[in-house]
Amino acid sequence: MDLERPAGKGRPVDLLVEGFRKGTPGSFEAIVRAHQDRVYSFCARMLSDREDALDAAQEVFLSAWRNLSEFRGEAALSTWLLRIAANRCLNRIRRRKSLSEREAPWPEPSGGAEEGIIFQPAGGEADRPDRLAETCEMREILTEALSHLDPGSRWMVLLSDVEGFSYEEIASLAEVPVGTVKSRLHRARMAMRRLLSPVA
Amino acid sequence: MECTQARNLLSEHQDRTLDTAGAEALAAHLRGCGECAGADVSLLAVRELLRGLPPDPAPPELLSRVLAALEAEDRNARPGSTDGGAGATRSFLSRFRVPFEAAAAVLLIASVYWYQQASTPAVRPPPGISSGVSSGISSEAGKVSPSRPPPAKKDAAKSSPPGIRLADGKPRAAKEAAPSLPMPRTWTAESLPSVPVSLASTDSERIVPVAPPRPLPALSYGRDLVVEVNPENREGAEERTAEAALRLGGIVERIERENASTGKGAAGAVRVVLPEAAAAGFLDELRRIGTVPPEVLPAAFDIPRGPRPGTAAYTVRIRLR
Repeated sequence: MDLERPAGKGRPVDLLVEGFRKGTPGSFEAIVRAHQDRVYSFCARMLSDREDALDAAQEVFLSAWRNLSEFRGEAALSTWLLRIAANRCLNRIRRRKSLSEREAPWPEPSGGAEEGIIFQPAGGEADRPDRLAETCEMREILTEALSHLDPGSRWMVLLSDVEGFSYEEIASLAEVPVGTVKSRLHRARMAMRRLLSPVA
Repeated sequence: MECTQARNLLSEHQDRTLDTAGAEALAAHLRGCGECAGADVSLLAVRELLRGLPPDPAPPELLSRVLAALEAEDRNARPGSTDGGAGATRSFLSRFRVPFEAAAAVLLIASVYWYQQASTPAVRPPPGISSGVSSGISSEAGKVSPSRPPPAKKDAAKSSPPGIRLADGKPRAAKEAAPSLPMPRTWTAESLPSVPVSLASTDSERIVPVAPPRPLPALSYGRDLVVEVNPENREGAEERTAEAALRLGGIVERIERENASTGKGAAGAVRVVLPEAAAAGFLDELRRIGTVPPEVLPAAFDIPRGPRPGTAAYTVRIRLR
């Protein structure tokens, strides 16, 4: 579904947002339909819990509904929604951790990843991550590996490597320097590499 | 270049953000170090895998839950909502909400008034009995029942022992004097509830206890937020804040206003307790009511704890911009 069209010389205009602003009936429902998979996926991968992810995704769309009139279109609508989702998910993770210490401590992304290995692929060629991708469990394996990153790094990996956010966008969202984003992302990617390929 | 240093540069190398000298040094190291070259290849593979990770399909209930929540919110939406779609789904009955609520309030007040009028004579003891109760009360300065009987007559007071009424059924004369009235319960001064009274009627049997004003206790939880509103939006800002908290499942602990004589510019404060999950939504609502100075607004991840686990508390102070 082509949600955006060029607006003359300027930025592309999101037709659904335009429709929402004009009060077109059903426009917000169309926005939810168009973005729910990405938003829900992000929340599910951040929270590793279906119900929590559903609640968080619902909050994201409610927040968007309340604030869409202030959406300036400086970024794509999906980027804006994922920013809200990142905030909501981090809120939930903080709350979850503060309420109980039920969860096992996150493994340090820069080291000790071997302790967090959650699958044992066959040796040799099958150890290579690109070979693992060929298996039908690839999505689950990646999601599981992501869940072993600490939340502060996980959302950066999700936004950068899965959703394609730039370092600058993530730095602005995290309110940290770009250099910090780069180093944290690198450590998290190396941890992912160790999780996915123990012999690498 | 050492292996540790080389591995720390792999991401930047793949992003092509390394300077020329760094890129050349790393390339030279990778040509001579199979282990680091393997790490480079597998890191690239991981990034490609992540890039190709397809989104999980959202459960079908997500859309229905969002739409249901929007409809609920739309019922409370202010006039001039920008969502034509949500506005179009407003139910027909919601147009009559305000008249219905007004009629219900009038009925409620009328029924309370009628109940008070109808019930007062029934609980009033007969004249012969009331004197003893009255004298019993007079001996307990400052302690009276909310349903105080009428004032005593002097002759009746002399004939009845003070403080005890019909405890054993002996004051037959009193009962005979008012045969049509129901038998009152046994009252003693000691058994009457003790209620501090700061305002009491002197010309009727009803006494209205009024709790003395208590100062607002200091908060041991929550956080203060300042919301600046334009003069034209100042009126009702406290109510809108309270409504937002209630709409999000919270409670309003207190609404304060400076003396009304100070006019529309008077400062106000609303103390609310919310479910933690609703805290972010509440901050969104506050931004709709007025301007929250960014230096005052807490980070999105920073939820001030409420009085109980799982709750967040805010004292929203309304200021004129």
